[in-house]
Amino acid sequence: MIGWRPGRDRSREFEEVALVHLDALYRSALRLTRNRAEAEDVVQDTCLRAFRSFHRFNPGTNCRAWLFTILRNTFLNRVRGAGRELYEGDAGSAWDALVERASDRAGGGATPEEQFLETALHGDVDRALRALPLAFREPIVLVDLEGLSYREAAEVLGCPVGTVMSRLSRGRRLLRRALGDFAREHGYVGEPE
Amino acid sequence: MNCDTFLACMHPYVDGELGVSDTVAADTHAAECPRCRSVTARERAFRQLLRSQPRETAPPELRRRIVTRIRRSSRAAALRPWLALPAAAAVAALLAVTLLPLTERPARGVVAELVDKHIAFAQLERPAEFVSADRRAVGAWFLERAGLSVSVPDYSPAGIRLVGARIADVRGRRAAYILYEKGRTLLSVFVAPASGEGDLVGARVTYRGQVYVTRVQKGYRTVAWTEGGVVFGLVSMLDDEALLECADRLRDERARQTRL
Repeated sequence: MIGWRPGRDRSREFEEVALVHLDALYRSALRLTRNRAEAEDVVQDTCLRAFRSFHRFNPGTNCRAWLFTILRNTFLNRVRGAGRELYEGDAGSAWDALVERASDRAGGGATPEEQFLETALHGDVDRALRALPLAFREPIVLVDLEGLSYREAAEVLGCPVGTVMSRLSRGRRLLRRALGDFAREHGYVGEPE
Repeated sequence: MNCDTFLACMHPYVDGELGVSDTVAADTHAAECPRCRSVTARERAFRQLLRSQPRETAPPELRRRIVTRIRRSSRAAALRPWLALPAAAAVAALLAVTLLPLTERPARGVVAELVDKHIAFAQLERPAEFVSADRRAVGAWFLERAGLSVSVPDYSPAGIRLVGARIADVRGRRAAYILYEKGRTLLSVFVAPASGEGDLVGARVTYRGQVYVTRVQKGYRTVAWTEGGVVFGLVSMLDDEALLECADRLRDERARQTRL
């Protein structure tokens, strides 16, 4: 149940309430950092920070959204600390290459089904996501991959719900464009809007 | 609703983020318009494709490292004497803990809200966002979708079938909604964070040694109780006896899961 038993050992409590979300944190960290070693560091920092401020967590509220907020701040701090660009143009070239590659492949010899399975099931969605600029990647990771509501995602991202909505629909459109050339033939995705 | 207004709200519609009346309007439009229906179907399929991506798990070594660090820092904190805390802050913290449930006055009538939701969900084309008769799958869905750990009781011996689940908004907070049916009669089970003790208004009834608050609202019977900061509410046209039996089973199921 959505429950809370006060007075028990704090670390046990944290393990039961927060660490059950470790896989989700790790997956999202991978999507944010695009790098395993960095993802592990970010997740570890996140968990330790969360544990230190666990007394401030309100048990009736969604623990996962709270953890995602800490994860995101941890990640952004690291990026800023390292003097890297935040909302990058860095994905721009990777993105163009991806779109091009998807178009090339659609013209290849295999049937659309084969192409779709080969690509969509073997990591193209993943690669397309990695190449998506952070501003669009974040809401897709939170809402589409981890199942947060718009409001929770807005809380995590510290922006209005309307911004989450517009970034989501734009991000999904960008993703579909990359995957679209072959998936459209198979009927999985529609015409670009 | 016409095609333009439908397409403008299609993303929140597919995400289950529209309010009840907008969802009903969108359902109606989609039922009438093949084009919007097919756009919606494609959008759902795309969403499914995203959701069905392989789900990586955290490396066991990372998990071990984190657990070790946390347990170590927890032991260190336990050894630190209370005096290390500024005394005033400690007193304030204690006061806050004891006073909070008393000062946080609940808005009135959470049960009325549950009844409205029960009626509204029944009007939707898909009253259950997640359809499954498998209790374990429903429990897993709540955990996955909203991070809620919810016991899903088995009412099948009473001829009450599990239909599915959705995430509901009760008092602006996320709540679990489990839908059952007996023949054509629906039974809604809500599990929501409690906002306070004075929350439940109605007649107090003792059933098998447990106290419940029952009430008839808009022709629906309700049985509700709070336990451990959580409010449980059952809403249905079923009779009182059946509802109380369901409530009792839910308590049993919950107690069993807590023991495990």
